[in-house]
Amino acid sequence: MSDRHTSRLLRPETLTAIGIIVVAAFFLLATTDLRPISALLPGAMLSGLVVLAVALLVRDQRKASDGEPPVQLSRAPMRVIGAFALIVGYALATDFIGFYPSTIAIIPLVSALFGFRNPLGLLAATVIVVGAVYLIFDFGMSQDFPAGRLWQN
Amino acid sequence: MYSDLLHALPEVFGLTNFFAVIIGVVAGIVVGAMPGLSATMAISVLVPFTFGLEPLVALGLMAGIYNGAMYGGAIPAVLLRIPGTPAAVATTFDGYPMAQKGQGGFALQVAVVSSSIGGIASAFALMLLAPPLSKVTLLFGPSEVFWVAVFGLASIIFLLGGNPIKGLISACFGVFVSVIGSDPIYGNDRFTFGQLELLDGINMVILLVGLYALPPVIDLLETPLKTDGIGKSQLGTEPIWKTLPRMKHFWKTWLRSSFIGIWIGILPGAGGSMAAFMSYNEARRASKNPEAWGEGEPEGVAAAETANNADTASALIPALTLGIPGTAVAAVMLGGLLVHGLQPGPMLFRDNPDIVFGFMWQFLFGAILLVLLGGSLATNSFARLLNLPRPLLGSIIIVLMLIGVYSIHGRMFDVYMMLGFGAVGWVMDKLKFPLPPVVLGLILGGFAEENLRLALRIGRGDWMVLFSNVTSLVIVALTVAVIVGPILKKKFARPKTQDAT
Repeated sequence: MSDRHTSRLLRPETLTAIGIIVVAAFFLLATTDLRPISALLPGAMLSGLVVLAVALLVRDQRKASDGEPPVQLSRAPMRVIGAFALIVGYALATDFIGFYPSTIAIIPLVSALFGFRNPLGLLAATVIVVGAVYLIFDFGMSQDFPAGRLWQN
Repeated sequence: MYSDLLHALPEVFGLTNFFAVIIGVVAGIVVGAMPGLSATMAISVLVPFTFGLEPLVALGLMAGIYNGAMYGGAIPAVLLRIPGTPAAVATTFDGYPMAQKGQGGFALQVAVVSSSIGGIASAFALMLLAPPLSKVTLLFGPSEVFWVAVFGLASIIFLLGGNPIKGLISACFGVFVSVIGSDPIYGNDRFTFGQLELLDGINMVILLVGLYALPPVIDLLETPLKTDGIGKSQLGTEPIWKTLPRMKHFWKTWLRSSFIGIWIGILPGAGGSMAAFMSYNEARRASKNPEAWGEGEPEGVAAAETANNADTASALIPALTLGIPGTAVAAVMLGGLLVHGLQPGPMLFRDNPDIVFGFMWQFLFGAILLVLLGGSLATNSFARLLNLPRPLLGSIIIVLMLIGVYSIHGRMFDVYMMLGFGAVGWVMDKLKFPLPPVVLGLILGGFAEENLRLALRIGRGDWMVLFSNVTSLVIVALTVAVIVGPILKKKFARPKTQDAT
């Protein structure tokens, strides 16, 4: 019984609704510092978000009590978490060690981890992409990319 | 009224502008041919790269991608029964059986010719209807513009799909994001929490890339698509001009489907898939041999492909004249216009006629180029792209997303923000929260607020200024109709269904 109760609260739509209420309430507090006319639109939207999220929550809990299974976010959660982690890791690596070293690493890493492991294909793809980025953006358009905070310090 | 249209023509024939349309069409076909990637995603990724380009070059790329992707979706739909884009679902009904009979090449040729005809009809509709509508909207003052923005937000009701609560949450989220930054009148900070990077507000491109590009990349990596690859047996090698005589009896279908596609395109929220389904059903109803449909009837491919391309340019009629996008792609394209400092709406036609009319011509040329660039030889090459490994494709898109967002202001803060929006977008996508209302809210939220406050200043704080003229009252009535109409329709439809059961 307790398991069933816990799983009802952990339904993705319920968690999303609770998240929206918490975040909207936090921003709603921040509107108190604003002039009334400046706070009008954001206040209305945030109040709307709270009301709508409560409606979403109630509806999802009703579905749960009717025995309807929760929405499945992913069929392969570990792959999704892995993909997100790699993308965030790539952004952090670009910030700290620079754009080119991170890009040279991320293309073969993501491809290999997610199923494409042909060494020649990976090498060719990495060279083509990094080379094209250098020629088009760096050389052709004088676009500066992050050099890496670690080296700057 | 139409003289500006002719004046814009020489601009479009500039080498770079024309070349941009060609690149756009090719890129669009490639993107459309990749299941999981859409025109919306491609344009979202492209927009930041166009900052340094002339507006017409950037818009040419977008017009080309939109046209190309709508046809590109037919390639996997015909060869693998996997629609490359949602609008290509109806193409699978007869396209795939044709491929199984060894007529895949002919099915794709029918698709490319029909797509082109639909695109041409749609571009003409845009050219004919948008200029007179813009003349009317030029007479609008701040209170009318405010109500137009409210009408646009109310039209989100059409975009909500089956779940109004989720649609409204998406819209409120979009409007809230639009107010982050400095107050437009007083200049005080709103929700910046001391972050200087947020003072100018959140750049629309960051939101677009996060919402529309990151979730498909995660999907590409989450489910590796295994196909048997594309063999020569599924494709034809006959040149396209030789097959044209076999298509000439489709003219009625082309005409009917073009009308359906244009009409659906103008309606907010309907989109290419609805156009293709409606057109397919109507063509089947009108057919003398309806039982052959679904077994490999080329006219079925023609109906679906004509309609899904006929809704491309027509979706821009409300977008360009009123600032209300009819589809998700149109919303993203409005974002593309905004990053080039072009505010959609009546002023766009008055202040930048060369650009807006040039954009219309680019749609027309994009549609014509489809036949030349998507002919049999090219289609065979594009079909081979289906064999490209999805993880590799995913990793390349990740790099492009980072470059695009970083290059807006040259700071990593934007990249982190894009990742945040990407995570929100992925959850929204999985929980079936519609994404177009977020974009519409972001575009129209700030616009509505600015004009409301301007109107109030003109009226010295009197709220009745918003109801002081007939035009405002007409738009208010339309807005109420847009909100109340679907509710009444549902209420009256329910007893009928109950009677039927």
